[in-house]
Amino acid sequence: MSLKSELHSHVASLRRYALVLTRDPVAADDLVQETLVKAIAKADTFQPGTDLRPWLFRILHNTHISDLRRARTRADAAPDLPEPIARDCQHTQLELKQVLGALDQLPEAQRMPIILVALREMSYAEAARTLDVPLGTFMSRLGRGREALRGIVRGVKRGELSLLKRKEGGE
Amino acid sequence: MTQSDHRDPALDPDLIAYADGALEPERMAEVEARLAHDPAAREAVAQWRHFDNLINTAARAGDAQPTNLRIAALERELATRLQRRRMRAALFGPGLRRLAASVVIFAAGWGAHSVYETQTKRVAGTYPGFIQPTLSGHYAYLHSAHQRAEFSGDRMPEALDWLSEQMQMRIESPKLERLGYEVQSARLVMAGGQPLAVFYYRNADGEQVTVSMTPRHEAPPVQGLRMADFEGERVAYWSSGPLHYAVVARTSAAGLTSLAAAVED
Repeated sequence: MSLKSELHSHVASLRRYALVLTRDPVAADDLVQETLVKAIAKADTFQPGTDLRPWLFRILHNTHISDLRRARTRADAAPDLPEPIARDCQHTQLELKQVLGALDQLPEAQRMPIILVALREMSYAEAARTLDVPLGTFMSRLGRGREALRGIVRGVKRGELSLLKRKEGGE
Repeated sequence: MTQSDHRDPALDPDLIAYADGALEPERMAEVEARLAHDPAAREAVAQWRHFDNLINTAARAGDAQPTNLRIAALERELATRLQRRRMRAALFGPGLRRLAASVVIFAAGWGAHSVYETQTKRVAGTYPGFIQPTLSGHYAYLHSAHQRAEFSGDRMPEALDWLSEQMQMRIESPKLERLGYEVQSARLVMAGGQPLAVFYYRNADGEQVTVSMTPRHEAPPVQGLRMADFEGERVAYWSSGPLHYAVVARTSAAGLTSLAAAVED
């Protein structure tokens, strides 16, 4: 694969990752642009022969972490997430909203491993390198994050259920 | 069922890898056997997979986004920079000698060298031996007509400033001093309508090296370091950033590669 086509594929991956991180297409593209500008400035530090993808993802990760403005954008723009699921599948859409909402409540250290693995584009080792943490730490954060995510989603569902029961009881 | 069969799913890397399909087949069978007796772990894996699928679906929505022209432009620029980085690494890295061995035919039509090559080959074997040096002197005379300025070796800072101004980009001195060469002169000539900065070096043994640089403009870069032999001289040429470079010397491929690396440094 030529460098250009390899890079093109990685940029598409960056856009996917950024979209889940920011939950806003415009903010996601801003993040990818900022990442590419930084990558251009750092091009001389890239080691030819090493994998380009973790290098790019690490720049995006660091950019995202250091950019507090983006965190605010994410919170404000949550309702703007594109609807990737068929419109007639309302239950799945609701679940998607719940899971992404729960994901937002996790600390970044747990959120990012979950998203990186969900992209299915790199190994655990590559993802750990991207986040600049040892593999053991990465696995631990991934496991704890997933369990925390389950806990939050379960809590949300219980809350909805009790709300429904209260409504039914009131009627 | 033992206590160890009910480990915290969050702390079980095998379970995590199983959920992601990243476990080796033999370990997968072990995990499946355990899951058969551990409904809590089974539920955890099922939910992890489900959430993972939902997040993946949300990420794939990015593929449906329209092309972002700014991102496309930055992507092109980054590709260029990384290509340049790779070439630099090839020049300075362990692949240097391997690259130097890939001798290619020197393409005619680039700078004044092509004139000498074409013309001298044309007369070779046709006339008595003294004709060829005469013609070479004649071409050198014609070449000098295109010369715009010449600086002696002791005026290099001034020469570099002037050359940079004329070529509208910063020209750095080839750093051949570390290899024992001393700059004799620098000059600007016009070749094919393009300015060509030429530096002449000599070492204590009288060995001469010529280095040239010319703006690449829109011309495609020469990929990698290339070499060719003609008239007993050896030329290495390559592109880096906005410039084409050439080094001419009567030396081995390895020696010429060292000279090219010093020019690039």
